[in-house]
Amino acid sequence: MATTTEFVPPRSGRIDKKYNRVPGKKGNFEMVAWLFMRISGLFLVVLIFGHLITNLLVGDGINGLDFGFVAGKWADPLWQFWDLAMLWLAMLHGTNGVRTIINDYADKDRTRFWLKMVLYFATVVIVVLGTLVIFTFDPCIPGSPLEVCN
Amino acid sequence: MSTEAVEPASKIDLAAVGGGGGEIPQFDITLRVRRYNPEVSEEAEWEDFTLTMFGTDRVLDALHKVKWEHDGSLSFRRSCAHGICGSDAMRINGRNRLACKTLLKDLDTSKPITVEAIKGLPVEKDLIVDMEPFFQSYREIMPFLVSKGHEPSGERYQSPEDRERYDDTTKCILCAACTSSCPVFWTDGQYFGPAAIVNAHRFIFDSRDDAGDMRLEILNDKEGVWRCRTTFNCTEACPRGIQVTKAIAEVKQAVLARSM
Amino acid sequence: MQVHKYDVVIVGAGGAGMRAAIESGQRAHTAVLTKLYPTRSHTGAAQGGMCAALANVEEDNWEWHTFDTIKGGDYLVDQDAAEIMAKEAIDAVLDLEKMGLPFNRTPEGKIDQRRFGGHTRDHGKAPVRRACYAADRTGHMILQTLYQNCVKHNVEFYNEYYALDLLTVEEEATREDGSTYLQKRVAGVVSYDLATGELHVFQAKSVVFASGGAGKVFKTTSNAHTLTGDGMGIAFRRGIPLEDMEFVQFHPTGLAGLGILLSEAARGEGGILRNSEGERFMERYAPTIKDLAPRDIVARSMANEVREGRGCGPDKDYVLLDLTHLEPAHIDAKLPDITEFARTYLGVEPYTEPVPVFPTAHYVMGGVPTNIQGEVHQDNDHTIPGLYAAGEVACVSVHGSNRLGTNSLLDINVFGKRAGTYAAEYAKTADFVDLPENPLVETQALLDNVRQADGTERIAAIRKDLQDTMDANMQVFRTGDTIKKAVKDIEGLRERYANISIQDKGKRFNLDLLEAVELGFLLDLAEVMSVSALGREESRGGHFREDFPDRDDERFMKHSMVYKDETAEMQGIKGLRFDTKPVTFTRYQPMERKY
Repeated sequence: MATTTEFVPPRSGRIDKKYNRVPGKKGNFEMVAWLFMRISGLFLVVLIFGHLITNLLVGDGINGLDFGFVAGKWADPLWQFWDLAMLWLAMLHGTNGVRTIINDYADKDRTRFWLKMVLYFATVVIVVLGTLVIFTFDPCIPGSPLEVCN
Repeated sequence: MSTEAVEPASKIDLAAVGGGGGEIPQFDITLRVRRYNPEVSEEAEWEDFTLTMFGTDRVLDALHKVKWEHDGSLSFRRSCAHGICGSDAMRINGRNRLACKTLLKDLDTSKPITVEAIKGLPVEKDLIVDMEPFFQSYREIMPFLVSKGHEPSGERYQSPEDRERYDDTTKCILCAACTSSCPVFWTDGQYFGPAAIVNAHRFIFDSRDDAGDMRLEILNDKEGVWRCRTTFNCTEACPRGIQVTKAIAEVKQAVLARSM
Repeated sequence: MQVHKYDVVIVGAGGAGMRAAIESGQRAHTAVLTKLYPTRSHTGAAQGGMCAALANVEEDNWEWHTFDTIKGGDYLVDQDAAEIMAKEAIDAVLDLEKMGLPFNRTPEGKIDQRRFGGHTRDHGKAPVRRACYAADRTGHMILQTLYQNCVKHNVEFYNEYYALDLLTVEEEATREDGSTYLQKRVAGVVSYDLATGELHVFQAKSVVFASGGAGKVFKTTSNAHTLTGDGMGIAFRRGIPLEDMEFVQFHPTGLAGLGILLSEAARGEGGILRNSEGERFMERYAPTIKDLAPRDIVARSMANEVREGRGCGPDKDYVLLDLTHLEPAHIDAKLPDITEFARTYLGVEPYTEPVPVFPTAHYVMGGVPTNIQGEVHQDNDHTIPGLYAAGEVACVSVHGSNRLGTNSLLDINVFGKRAGTYAAEYAKTADFVDLPENPLVETQALLDNVRQADGTERIAAIRKDLQDTMDANMQVFRTGDTIKKAVKDIEGLRERYANISIQDKGKRFNLDLLEAVELGFLLDLAEVMSVSALGREESRGGHFREDFPDRDDERFMKHSMVYKDETAEMQGIKGLRFDTKPVTFTRYQPMERKY
């Protein structure tokens, strides 16, 4: 007749597995990421508006914007640093944003993993290329219209 | 503040202050309920009921009318019926509400009123969901006072200011309206959810408690406070008027402050 | 059949059940069964406070509290129990504070205290500030704090497990004088898992009943839909008597028409009651403490005002609770929830308008008789080893014929703790009692009968008629005729109950089935209440007979006890046996009750 059990755990025993949290790695990664978003955001506001103002408003404004203008800026270490900072911060900020979007909207771990791999790959390519360009920029490419090259 | 000083008048002119009450209007509504019973069918479907209700009636009264007069198999949880037990959180016209605190007259009764189970938790039958994942998250944040050192023989003192610091989050009734309104929780159910964080907040900011660090450590998890996207759905859903998103933000700040 | 074995099984996870579980869970293998989730229990709806003579804000002592409790209960209080409650109240509040309960504080940081109905300084001289509180959500804080501590101590909860039967065995036992009697012993509890529809047997050395009240026998009530007196009903059907069931408390200030509770704290903080002429009518009925008179007196005064044509509103059927002379900031700080109720449910703004109120069924003073250790009596002389009860389901009796405000939160903490402790201590030395041969047979039959019934009556219609007749005939004012009407109506409803059918025949979350079972308990209890009321030909506390308007200590200074007994008859009703139990006196002699 009776199946006697000493202890059958209450309702929690049949909790749906998908709700069980895998204990995460210890560490502050998410907190640092969260903090980074706020700080980089602040810097980006300054960097981007500075960039926009110099490029689009000061002097001849948008009409003065040409290859020479860019080349002129990158001859100046300040603008090299400015654009480098803007590139890195914007890319990391954006990547982290997309990472959280993937976390929020992809509901399978596999999907998440592959989406993030694509994202990280794209980020690395763009950051590396961008950095290279900023530091190895040569205004005197063949056919350059600039006077200094002639 | 003291009220003892003023003795109220033994007779006043009621016309001057007026008194509540008056004729109660009556109207017809269509209640559109999301039905689900795996004993009958794996598919959930909408079912409409046309009911005549009164101006003082709540959505819970409409559900009762259905259950008691039309279809006894309609299943939903309820108990106190005045917004304090937290049994009857459900999605009413797409928003998380307590059925017993939502007056029909405050809804658009010209259109069908939709009622469905809260989202993000497994539906068991009709409006009933499995609350265990919700309570599991609650239990994980150590929702109890931990005090180190020797226990005082009398009461612990706490200034009214210190008491006020965590007052808002003591109001939580664990109805799950906030957690089940959170898009992040909907994704995979891994996020601790607003309710667990609110209840952690209640202790983290209690001057008598000594385990704040442990709770902050728990909520520093990748499924902890950092998954909050400040969409304010939780604050909007809370039937107790708790500033949930603000509480989460305060916990975030506390985690940061602790790490610095 | 699933059998679970625990040292202690607690039925009910409200204040009393969880307070018991905290004690018992640390001493013995304990399970708590609840038909809801623990935090849904109706303790959470209590508002005003919990009295204890801490003397934090003004002079007070527990002896005055004892006196107030006894006088408030119109001397039908067992005075030894009242003394224990008032004395242990102080520790009960301190226990809760240590568990983390967020009490309101005085400027010095001590637990703040407020006035409450019937609680006085020095034996009735003036209202005293004795109620410890957390705004107007003291019960909510108590329930949450107790649940939090159950989580802390890893108490095992079986959520949504309805207790449907108590398993007892009877053994022949010998009295000191050599005569024999049948001694009941507790073997366990039969429980229904709402999620699956399966029956489970919980075998236990001790069982604690903490299943709450039965306010749902009335229509206008502050009680939850789930307060259907299951615990009282189960015990009664198993031959355990019910004590003092004629005494039901009607809380004066329920939202008119809805019954939703507005705490007595509203009056403790300075709110007053007015009739249609704007008069503070309580000055006539209780000249000394006015609006802070005990609940039975205030409720009766309100009903009397309405009866004499001084009611408010289009039907002149309610009075007004006036808070308009209080500072809005004060109201927000001390009474945030109840003012919110007035706004939400009646559309009344309490800052500027008085709130329509009328008495609402609130608390059953009677219940399963216990002694001060929480042990349940099987009759006046014998307790049932291993069976305990605490809270509203029990009758210790500390409330007598009328409970003072705040004393229920006190009751659940003091006697919940006691029941839990004694139940665990008993389980340490006791052995399991063998389960009866077929422990499920009766419960299964009960459920099958309901599930398979193919009558024509709807559960809700019978319940509504029951509540209507109880409201009409068994409310604040009663006469022999109205009570007889109620008894007759209940008999008729019982016949209709035999002819029900339910629509949900499934196993999963079948609340239709459970509502039918609960209605069975309600009918039993309504009958016991009415028949007890018919027997008590006097007026005392919450029981007011217009045909016998005075207290009659000569004939009725004793507890009523009603037993289920197929061979007996009581007031013309077959199947009930009436008995009485003496009241325990220590130091207070009955006096006229004036405020």
